[in-house]
Amino acid sequence: MDFLVSSFAAALRMIGDLSPDVFDAVRTSLSVAAGATVFAALLGVPVGLLVGLSEFPLKRLVVTLLNTLMAVPTVVVGLFVYGFLSRQGPLGVMGLLFTPTAIVIGGTMLAAPIVANYALASVRGADPRIVPTALTLGADRFRAVATLAGEIRFGILAAVIAGFGRVVSEIGVAMMLGGNIRGYTRTMTTAIALETSKGEFAFGMALGIVLMLVALVVNLFLNLLQRR
Amino acid sequence: MYRLQSIRKCYGSNVALDIEALTIAGGRLYTLTGGNGAGKSTLLSILAFLAPPTSGEIFYAGKRVDWNHGSVEEYRRKVTLLHQSPYLFGGSVDDNVAFGLKVRGIREEERRRRIDEALDVVGLRGFRDRKARELSGGEAQRVAMARALALNPEVLLLDEPLANIDRETAGLLETVVASLPARGTTVVMTTHDPDHQGRLNGDSIHLEGGRHVLQSLR
Repeated sequence: MDFLVSSFAAALRMIGDLSPDVFDAVRTSLSVAAGATVFAALLGVPVGLLVGLSEFPLKRLVVTLLNTLMAVPTVVVGLFVYGFLSRQGPLGVMGLLFTPTAIVIGGTMLAAPIVANYALASVRGADPRIVPTALTLGADRFRAVATLAGEIRFGILAAVIAGFGRVVSEIGVAMMLGGNIRGYTRTMTTAIALETSKGEFAFGMALGIVLMLVALVVNLFLNLLQRR
Repeated sequence: MYRLQSIRKCYGSNVALDIEALTIAGGRLYTLTGGNGAGKSTLLSILAFLAPPTSGEIFYAGKRVDWNHGSVEEYRRKVTLLHQSPYLFGGSVDDNVAFGLKVRGIREEERRRRIDEALDVVGLRGFRDRKARELSGGEAQRVAMARALALNPEVLLLDEPLANIDRETAGLLETVVASLPARGTTVVMTTHDPDHQGRLNGDSIHLEGGRHVLQSLR
C-alpha cells in the first residue's frame, strides 16, 4: 500500500513540476490525436450524412461494415497501416513510419468509423422534416444537407469528440506506427507501457492521471452535448 | 398551372396515387379532400416537386417537368409546401423566415422588408427575435406560414394547416389563405373539414383510395 501511496505522491509531483518527459508525452498525444480527429471528421462526417440520407441497394451491408470497422482492434489497424508505410510497403518511399504523421494516419483510420457511425446515428435520430422543409423553401440538395448538419450539430460534435477519445486513449497504433521514440513519437499510452515495464511506476502513474483527466474532460463534454 | 397525366405513385406493391388526368388552374384556390390514405399528402409532395411519381407526366406552366435535379430545383423555388406540423429550424423567427430568401440570394434590405411584411400578415409583428422553438403551436404555424408567404410563391400547397391549432389562429390563417388567389397565388389546401370548402369558396378536388374521383369548380 505504501508503494501505491508514495508512487501516487511522486506522480503528482511530476505533474506539478511539469516534468519534460511527462510534458512531451502529453503534447505528442494531444497533437496526434487532434490531427487524427480533424482528418477523421473530414472523412467520417460526410460518410455518416451520406449513408444516413441515401437509400441504395447495399446500404445495410455498408452500415454493418461501418459497425465492424468500429470494433477492429487497434493493433490490426496498426498492422494494416504498417504494411503500407514500412520500407517494403507501397508508401515506404515516403519515410513516414515511426513519425507522428504515421500515428495520425493510423489514428484517422481508427477514429473515422466511430465518427461516421455517431454521425449516422445522429442523422437517423434527426427530425425527418428537416430536409423536406429546406427543399420546399428552395434549398438545393447540398444546402438541405448542410441545413440538416446544422440542426444536428451537437450530435456531430459528439461524434468528433468520441473519435478524439478513441485516438487519445489507444496504444496499438501509436506503438506500431510511432515506434515510441522519446520526445518525438512517445505518447502518453506508449510511455505508460514502457516506463511501467522498466519499473518507473510513478512516471506511468503521472501519465495515467493526465490521461484519465483528458478522458474525463472529453466525456464530460460529450455528456453535456448529448443532453442538448 | 399544373396538368397531370396518368400519374401513379407506388410504394412497393402498394399504389398510393393513381390519377388519370388532373388540371389545376393558376390563381385559384382548391380544397383537396379525401379520407385517411386517400393520397392527399402524396399528391401534395408530387405537386411540391419533393417526390417524383413512379410513372406519368406533369406539366407545370405548360412545360413538361423533367425530374432530373437541376430543373426540379428550379420548379421547387416556385412552389412551397406547408405541413400540418411544420418544422421550424433552430434559431430565431427571423432566421426561419429569412431561410428561403437567403437561399434565393435576396439582398438584406429586401429580405428585411419581406420578413416584416410576412410577419405582419400573420399577426406576428415584433416576433422577429423570438426563439422559434419557444413558440406555441399556433405561433409556430403562423411563422411557417410567414416563411412561405415571404417567398411570394406561385403555388402554395397546404397540408391541413388549420388542424391542431386554436380557433383564432385558424380564422386568421383562413383569411390569409383566402386572400392569396387575388395576389395571383395558386393555393391547394387539404382539409378534413367540409366547412372549409364552403368558407374558402374554392374549387375542390376529391380523392378516394388514391384515385381522383371528383373535381368541382366554382
